Amino acid sequence: MNPHPSSCSNGRSIRTRFARRFLRALKKIGSKGSSSRPSPRDISWRCRRVKIAADASMASAVGPRRVWSRTMLNMLRSRSHACLHASRLGNSRRPGADRHAVGKRKRLVLKRKLPNRLGLNQVNQLRRLVPGGEAMDLDILLDETAHYIKCLATQVKVMRSIVDYCSA
Amino acid sequence: MDPIGGNEVRSMNGAKDVEFGVEAYQFGEELHSLMSGPPVTGNSFTALLDLPANQAMELLHSQAVDDSPSELRLKGHCVSHQSPYNHTLNWAPAFPSNTALIERSSKYSIFAAADATVDRVGGGGGGQGSPDSSSMPSNSRANVMKVKSEPADSGSNPNSLPHASGPTINEKQMNRKESGKKGKGSSKRGKTTANDNSEEVEKLPYVHVRARRGQATDSHSLAERARREKINVRLKLLQELVPGCNKISGMALVLDEIINHVQFLQRQVEFLSMRLAAVNSPMEFNVDSLFSAGNGSVTDSIFPSVMPLTWPEVQMNSDRQQWQFDYDKSANSALFHSSQRKMEL
Repeated sequence: MNPHPSSCSNGRSIRTRFARRFLRALKKIGSKGSSSRPSPRDISWRCRRVKIAADASMASAVGPRRVWSRTMLNMLRSRSHACLHASRLGNSRRPGADRHAVGKRKRLVLKRKLPNRLGLNQVNQLRRLVPGGEAMDLDILLDETAHYIKCLATQVKVMRSIVDYCSA
Repeated sequence: MDPIGGNEVRSMNGAKDVEFGVEAYQFGEELHSLMSGPPVTGNSFTALLDLPANQAMELLHSQAVDDSPSELRLKGHCVSHQSPYNHTLNWAPAFPSNTALIERSSKYSIFAAADATVDRVGGGGGGQGSPDSSSMPSNSRANVMKVKSEPADSGSNPNSLPHASGPTINEKQMNRKESGKKGKGSSKRGKTTANDNSEEVEKLPYVHVRARRGQATDSHSLAERARREKINVRLKLLQELVPGCNKISGMALVLDEIINHVQFLQRQVEFLSMRLAAVNSPMEFNVDSLFSAGNGSVTDSIFPSVMPLTWPEVQMNSDRQQWQFDYDKSANSALFHSSQRKMEL
C-alpha cells in the first residue's frame, strides 16, 4: 500500500519495508551463485547469507529507534567487518559461532538452581534471546520483547508468502 | 495616582497579599542597599536602578505581563521619587489584578513542592536508563490512575479533574501527605476503569501514589511500587501479544510462554530462510509485480513472466531430516510435510 514515514510504527509499513529490502537482498544472492548444480557447500553458504539478509533487512526496516534493532545492526556490521579482515588476512574461518560452541562443550559447570523467585531465570533467558537485552532494565526489556515479537511475526509471514510464491 | 495604588495594596488583607507585599519589600530593601552605597546623581541613579529594576521586573513579571509600558512607567517613577519604599509600592499598579498573580504564585508554589516529590517518586520509577517516550505514557497512566481515585474518596470535590484548579490540587497533596496510611480501599488498582477514563483526564506531570492500608509510605517503596506497576502493565501487553497466554497466571509461567514463543519464531525464520536458499537457485524476482498486490497476498500476484523453477537437489533431504527433530509445533510440521511432498515430486 502506501509506506508511511518511519514515525508510524504500523505493522503494514514495516512489512513493506522489510519485504522490499529482503527481496533486493535475495536477488543479489540469487544472482551470485552458479545456475547449475550448486554443491552442498554452496547451499549452506547461501543459507547463511539468506539468514543474514533476513536479519539485516528486518533490523534496517525497523530503524535505529529500537534497542534490539540497533544492537542487531551493530552486530552484523562488526561481523561483516571481521569477516572482511579475516579474509584479507587469509583466514577463511568465520569467527564467533564455532569457537563459542567448542568452548561450551569443554567447560561443563554444575550450577545449583536457586529458588526462582520473581521469575529471574526466565528474565535472564529472555535477555539472551532478545538482541541487546543484556543491558536493559526489566520494563524496557518487556517493551522491546513485545516489539521484537511483532516484527518476528511479520518477518515470518512475509518469508512464508515469498516461499509459497516461489515454490507454487 | 501611584501612592493611592500603593495604599490599595497595603489595605488588602490576605495571606497571599502579605506574600506579595513581602516580596515587594524585599526588593525595596535590595534597592535601598544598592542606592545607599555609591553617590546619587540624577543620571547615575537611573543607571543604577536600571539593572536591578530590570532584574526585579523579570522576576516579578515571570507570569508574562506586558513589560514595556510598565518598565517605562517604572523609569519615570524612579526619576521622580527618591525613596525606595515608594518605588516598590509604585510597582504595584504595573501588575495586573492581584488575584491573578496570587493564583499563579500559588500554583507555582505547588509545583515547586511537587517537584520534590516528583524527583523522589517519579524519578525513581521513571528515570531508569533512557527517558524514552514509552515510559512517559505509562507514567502518566499511573498518574491518571491515582489522580482519578481522588474524587472517589473525597466526595467534597464536585469538580471533575480537568477543571481542578491550583488550590484544589494543593489541598489534595496536603491531604495525602498528612494521611499516608488512610487510603483503605480507596486506591483504585483497577486499571480498566482508569484506562477508560484516561481520555478525559489531563495528564499531570507528577506521580500521585496512594498508599494502601498497612503499606509503607517512604519514597523508596513508592518508587518501587510505581516501577512494579509499570512492569505489570507491560507484561499484560505481552500476554495479549502471545497467543494462549491470557489464561496463565503468575509471572514465571507467563515469561516461560513468551520465551517459548520467541524461540519458536526465531526457529521459523531460520527454517524459512533455509527453504528460500534451497528454492532460490535459478530464481529471478519480479519485485514490482509482488508489490502491486501490496504483499498481503503475494501468492495471488503470480505472473507468467516469472521463469519456471528447476527443482533443487535431493541432497536437501538429508538436511531436512536433521531439522525434523527440532520442531515440535504443529504449524511447522504442516509446512514440513508439504515441502516433503513437493520434494518427492
